[in-house]
Amino acid sequence: MSAGITEARADAPVVRKVPRGRTRVIGVIMVVIGLFTLVAFGLNTSSKAHSALTFSPVDIISNAPWHLGTLTLLTLWTNVVLGLVMTAIGIEVLWRQPRRGVMGRFGLVSVLFLLALLFWAVRTPGPSQVSFIDLTSILVGSSEVTMVLIFGSLSGVMCERAGVVNIAIEGQFIAGAFVGAMVASTTNNYFYAAIGGLVAGGIIGWILAFLAVRYLSDQIIVGVVLVTMLSSLSSYLNLQIFTPYPNLNTGNVLGNFAIPLLDKIPIIGPVFFNQSAFFYLMLLLIGAVSFALFKTRYGLHVRAVGEHPHAAATVGINVARVRYINVVLGGAIAGVGGVAFISQQGQFQPGITSGLGYIALAAMIFGRWRPSGAVVACVLFGMSVYLADNLQTYNIPISTEILTMFPYIITIFVVSGLVGRVRAPAADGQPYLAG
Amino acid sequence: MSEQLATRPPRHFLRRIGSQDPIVVASLALLLGFVVGALIIITTTPAVLDAWRGLFHSWGAPGHAIKVSFDNVGAAYRTMFTGSIIDPQSFWHSLTTGKGWDTTLTPISETLTYATPLVIVSIGVGIAFQTGIFNIGANGQAVLGGIMGTAAGSMVHMPTVLHIPFTLAAGLAGGVISGAVPGVLKALTGAHEVIVTIMFNYVLYAFLLFAVLSTALQQPGQQNDISRTLDPSAQLAPLFGVGSGLRVSYGVFVAIAVVLFAWWLLDRSSLGFEFRVTGANPQAARASGMNARVIVIVVFLISGGLAGLAGVVQVASTTHYIDGEFLIGNAGIGFTAITVALLGRNRPMGIVWSSLLFAALGVGGRAMQATTGIPLDLATVIQSAVVLFVATPVLVKEIFRLRGAPSQTIELATKGWST
Repeated sequence: MSAGITEARADAPVVRKVPRGRTRVIGVIMVVIGLFTLVAFGLNTSSKAHSALTFSPVDIISNAPWHLGTLTLLTLWTNVVLGLVMTAIGIEVLWRQPRRGVMGRFGLVSVLFLLALLFWAVRTPGPSQVSFIDLTSILVGSSEVTMVLIFGSLSGVMCERAGVVNIAIEGQFIAGAFVGAMVASTTNNYFYAAIGGLVAGGIIGWILAFLAVRYLSDQIIVGVVLVTMLSSLSSYLNLQIFTPYPNLNTGNVLGNFAIPLLDKIPIIGPVFFNQSAFFYLMLLLIGAVSFALFKTRYGLHVRAVGEHPHAAATVGINVARVRYINVVLGGAIAGVGGVAFISQQGQFQPGITSGLGYIALAAMIFGRWRPSGAVVACVLFGMSVYLADNLQTYNIPISTEILTMFPYIITIFVVSGLVGRVRAPAADGQPYLAG
Repeated sequence: MSEQLATRPPRHFLRRIGSQDPIVVASLALLLGFVVGALIIITTTPAVLDAWRGLFHSWGAPGHAIKVSFDNVGAAYRTMFTGSIIDPQSFWHSLTTGKGWDTTLTPISETLTYATPLVIVSIGVGIAFQTGIFNIGANGQAVLGGIMGTAAGSMVHMPTVLHIPFTLAAGLAGGVISGAVPGVLKALTGAHEVIVTIMFNYVLYAFLLFAVLSTALQQPGQQNDISRTLDPSAQLAPLFGVGSGLRVSYGVFVAIAVVLFAWWLLDRSSLGFEFRVTGANPQAARASGMNARVIVIVVFLISGGLAGLAGVVQVASTTHYIDGEFLIGNAGIGFTAITVALLGRNRPMGIVWSSLLFAALGVGGRAMQATTGIPLDLATVIQSAVVLFVATPVLVKEIFRLRGAPSQTIELATKGWST
C-alpha cells in the first residue's frame, strides 16, 4: 500500500506477508505471559512449597508391568524456570522476528503456561485439596474433547480446501449426536450408530452443498442458519420423540477397547492404546485425510478447486462435483464426530455440543487449513476446554468463567494474524459460476 | 439492466405474482417455511403417526389419516395465530360486551414486547450487512449491553428522568465496547469478523456468568446466577399502566427512534452512502477515496451499540434482572436478528415487518406449545427454513416456476476468510 503502483492494482493478487509489527506484538505478549508466570506463579510462592507430578491413572496401576514414579518439584524454582523459558522464547521472537514457526512457539508458550498454572495450583502446602498433577489422566480426560474437535476440524479441512466454508460443523455434530443416540439406543451397537451419524452429517453437508454449490448462495449465511435450524430441530425432536419414548435415548456409553501390551506403556499406553473405537477411527482419519489431500491426484484437484476454480475448470476438473463430494464427505466426518461425542456423553440433550463445532472451526484456522496443524490446535484447545471444566477441583483463585474464555481468546489472537500468517484457500467462500 | 427496468411500462398488480419481485420471493419463502413446519409436525407428532400407521386397516383409513394430519397442523398454526395476534372469539366478545379487552390485546402486546428489542438489534445487524459485514456477534454485544445496563440500573440510584437515559446509555456503551473489538481487529489486522465475533460471543457468555456471580452484580442473599433487580426508576414502564396487565412498554419508542435513525443514516446521510458503497463494491469505495478502515470501525460501533441497546431494552422492559441464561442459546435475539435482517433485506422498514413476523412466530410458538403440546422450537425451525429459502431466491423461483431468466449474478452478503 506504500507505493502508488500497488494501489492502482488493488485487484491483482499481492503476496501478503505478516507485518513485522505484528510479530513484535506477539513477542511482547509472550514476554508478558512469561514474566507474569515468573512473578505470580514462581517468585510469589513460598520457597518450601513443592508440587508433585504423577503419570499413572489410578485404574491401570495394577495392570502395568512397570510404571513411572512421582516427580516432586520445588514449585518456586520450577515455575521460575518455566517463566524464564517463556520469556526467552518471547525475546527470541522479538529479536529475530522469524517468518515461520511463530505459531508453534505461541502454542508451546501456551502449554508451558498451563503447566505452570497447574504446578502452582497443586503446590503443597497450599489451598488445594489435590496435592499432585496426574499428567496422564489430564491427557486421557482431554483426549475425549480433543477427539471430537479433531473430527470437526478434519471436516472443515475437507470442505474449505475445496472452497466451501463449512460453518455448519456444529450443526453436523448435533445431527450426528442426535441420530447416534437414537440408533445406539435401539440397536445397542455403536457401529450402526456411527453409520447413522455418517448419513445424518452427510445429509447436512449435502444441503449445504446443494444451496452453496448449485444455487450459489452465501455459504456463511447458509451455514449459520443451518446451525440455528438443527439446534432448534434437535430440541423440538427431543421433546416430541425422546421425552415420550425414553427407550430411544437410553444413553449407553461406549466402553474402551484396550490394545493388548501396548496399553501397558506408561503415559502413551493409556492415552493412545486404551481408547474407544472412535479414537482409533480418528487416528486413521487424520492419516487418510492428509494422504488424500496432499498425496493423491484427487487431492490436487481439490486444492486446485479451492485456490482457483476457474483454472481448475480450464484443465477439465469438474468444480461443482469436487465441491459436492468434499462437502458431503466433510459433513459425514463431522456427523461421525457427533456420534463419537454422544458415545462418551450417553444421553442426548439439546445444546449438548455447546459450540464445540465452532471451536473445531477455529482450530482448523489455527492449524492453517492443514490436517496436521489442525490436530495440534485441537490438542491445545481440547486441553484448555478440559482444564476449564475441571480446574475447580484444584481450588484455584481464578474463576472458571475466566478460564473458559481461554481457547476463544487464543483464537481471536490467531485470526488477527498476531501469531502468524493465516492464509485461507484463495477461493474459500466464493461460489463458482461456470463461464 | 436497471435502465431497461426503469423504462418498462408499469405492470398490472396481478402480474407481480409471477415476477421476481423480492417481496414476492420473501412471501413465497414464508409459505415454504410453513410447509416445512407442517411436514415436521406430520412426521413427528405421535397422534398423527398413529393415524398413518393404520393406513391399510380399513377403507376409510387413508382419508382419516389425512384428516388427522390436517387437523393437527391446522390446530398448531391456528393457536400460533390466536396466541400472537388476536383471538377472533375473544375479540368479538370484547367488542359486543366491552369487557375483557386486556385478554384480547395480550397476544398483540406480547408480540410487540418481543419485537421491540428485536427491531433494534436487527437494524444493527442490517446496517452491518449493508456494508458487507456479517455481525454474528450481536448476541454477545446484546449480552454485554444487558450486563452494563443492569449494573447502571441497579447499582446507581437517581430520579427516573435521568436514570432511564443513563441505563440505556450504559447498555449502548456495552454494545459499543464489544462491537469495537471485532471492528478494530478487522480494520487493523484484517481478522475475519465472522470468526472473531463467534469467539467473542463465547467470551462474553463466560463474562456474563462471571458478572452475575460477582458480589457487585449478584442479587444480595443469592447463591445462584441472578443479578440485582433494576430500580423502578430505571425500568421502562408498561405503556398502558401496570394495572392493564399488558407488558408492551415505552421501549417501543426507543425502537421507533432507532428505525428513524437508521432510515436517516442509510438514506439521507453521506456516511450511510459510504456504508452502502463499501458494501456493494469495496474497490469502488476505495478508489473514490473512502477510508475502508474507518468505515469498518464505525459500522461495528453502530451495530454493536444498537445490539447493546436492544439488550438493555430487553432487561428494562421485561424481566428487570438478568441471569446466567440471559439471551443464551436459540432464544438469543442476536441470532434471530440475523434471520430478521436477511428477510427484511436489511432495510429499516423491511426489518420492522420481519421483526413483527418473527416475534409473532416466537410468541405464537409459546401459545402453540401450551395448547397443542407441539414444542415451541418449531417456530425457530420455521424461521430458519424461511431464511434458507430467502438466501436462495433461485431455488424459490424454480419451485414456483416464476418467470424471468434465472439470475446469473452472485449476491454475497459475506466475504470468504481470505478477504
